[in-house]
Amino acid sequence: MSVFITSAHHETLSVCRARIAHLLLFVFIGMVSLSSIIGWVTNITVTGVYEKILANGLTVAPNPFSAVPELYYARNAVIYVVLIGTLMAIVLGVQATLRDRKSATAGLILSRPVAVSARVGGQLAGLGVVIFAVLAISMAISWAGISIITGAPLGSDSTFRLLGFAGCAWMLLMVFAIIGMIAGITSKRETTALLVPFALWSGLAFVIPQLGTAARPVALLNPVPMPEQTGGYFDVLSAITGPLSITEHFKRAGSILLRDSNVSGSAGSSVAILLGFLVIAVVVVVLVPRQKLRQTLND
Amino acid sequence: MIDLITVAGKELLDLRRDRLFALLISFLTAVTLISVTVGAADFRNQLDAYNLYVANLTTSGSGVVPAAPHLFPLQLLRSGIEYLEILGALFAIVLGYGAIAKEKHRGMLQLFLTRPVNRFAFALGKVAGLSMIWWVVVVLLMGVSTISVVTIGGGAVTGTDLGRLGFVTVFIWMYLVFWSAVAVALTSLSASHSTALIVALVIWLGFVLVIPQIGDTMDPDNQVPGGLFAALNIQKPDEMAVLAHFSKFDSIRNVLEVSSVTKHFERLSFALLGIKDQYNQQPIPVVLTAMLPYAITLTAATVVAVVFAGAASTRRTLQRKQS
Repeated sequence: MSVFITSAHHETLSVCRARIAHLLLFVFIGMVSLSSIIGWVTNITVTGVYEKILANGLTVAPNPFSAVPELYYARNAVIYVVLIGTLMAIVLGVQATLRDRKSATAGLILSRPVAVSARVGGQLAGLGVVIFAVLAISMAISWAGISIITGAPLGSDSTFRLLGFAGCAWMLLMVFAIIGMIAGITSKRETTALLVPFALWSGLAFVIPQLGTAARPVALLNPVPMPEQTGGYFDVLSAITGPLSITEHFKRAGSILLRDSNVSGSAGSSVAILLGFLVIAVVVVVLVPRQKLRQTLND
Repeated sequence: MIDLITVAGKELLDLRRDRLFALLISFLTAVTLISVTVGAADFRNQLDAYNLYVANLTTSGSGVVPAAPHLFPLQLLRSGIEYLEILGALFAIVLGYGAIAKEKHRGMLQLFLTRPVNRFAFALGKVAGLSMIWWVVVVLLMGVSTISVVTIGGGAVTGTDLGRLGFVTVFIWMYLVFWSAVAVALTSLSASHSTALIVALVIWLGFVLVIPQIGDTMDPDNQVPGGLFAALNIQKPDEMAVLAHFSKFDSIRNVLEVSSVTKHFERLSFALLGIKDQYNQQPIPVVLTAMLPYAITLTAATVVAVVFAGAASTRRTLQRKQS
């Protein structure tokens, strides 16, 4: 138990001391916080556009933005988690396992009666604490920002929904942090350790969803998940790729929790898939062979 | 000059033997083929839906038949271009970083700098080597794309289309050289390898993904699925007239978008490939004239990045050690 706690504490301390990690964390917190302001400014402008159209007598349709829920202003946070958050998690994961190999301390640590699962699990727990803290700060800023925009503190329902969204984001980020850790353990070069998880991220975020939805890569940067295509080969492919599109599942769960009217249904299945991915990833990383951790780097 | 050619030649040789490079290029080729396949399947789906609709109309005795969807073969390359925008830039950064980092790590740089070499030979030789390899890769990639459009997509590619593809090839090459040169400069300047790579990745994230995404988010027409104006049945001239009252907001949005070199590359290539409706089937000179500002800025950005790589790579910065 002491190995687990010591490793977790050491990991948290290492991330706090790494300036480059701070850069990524600040970018993430900044963008998630900014998303409320961007949403608010856009909403004001779009309402103005609608009022102008109405005044010119060009439409009689009701204002599509008249009753937007208060969490509408946080909808862009979904995409910043997928874009910035996942890459931040990958870098943190890679650095966690690569640090020992670069400084050649892995051999020293493993010369003691230390269980690999306790060592790696502890590092993972440390990362979990850091990611939790980053999400907590981001959500607190979002909560305060939306409360200022709407002129009243967010109610308990919206607050719980925001917390649920943060929980889903934590699961997604932990999956990518573990992918980074595995790459840091198994790669022979530092470049490969960073690049392989990035390539995997692009596959999960762009290629797999495209196979089932025919959505273009840039269209997948929209916070709302793309609907699955039907007919022809899409019926077969979307059945196969659907469960693997982890970022689309996160977007779906996030949009439902943040009450985006463009997405309906229950977030349960998407949350279950995120949880499934997380459990599998945890099992894989704690079962990594001892010898792998002692491998030296080629550059 | 000979020093520069020697460094470039060595870089070419290294990349030819590099499995990581082969993996990256295979990945880019695979996603390009996937995107053409998916695009073609999507078009066939649209065609099937249209045929079904026409059959139902005929059965019901209606004489009004809507226009059939028309395949413009080069539009099948849209996703491929978007992959190059995102992943191509990422891989260009990795190659640029690797070109300098490997020499620093192996100690080859110290050996190289003991020789009486030109001040710019190392960095510019590396950029020249990367530029040559990118040219070969982009030409091959466009060749594969063209063949896949004909064979998988079932489209006919004309001589004019090949001309359009030729221009797009040049612009893709410039875009990738830009990112490799930026990575070369950052890796030369930084004492720590991983810091250089992560800073380059943060820049990539900002300019390739975040800034264009904010621009898209701020577009009033993107607030409703299918478009706000389409949802309210507003015609294009009325849309323009209404938006004229919000020119300040639109200017801020546009400034954000054009601050990203990626948007310049995207607008250029989308116009040339006819993905942007306004330029579809327009003669090449007309499109190039309209897109001249973007062509100039993309070229200027590439030149500035190469100059930055040369200027940043002094003996002092290259030999800086992490404290």
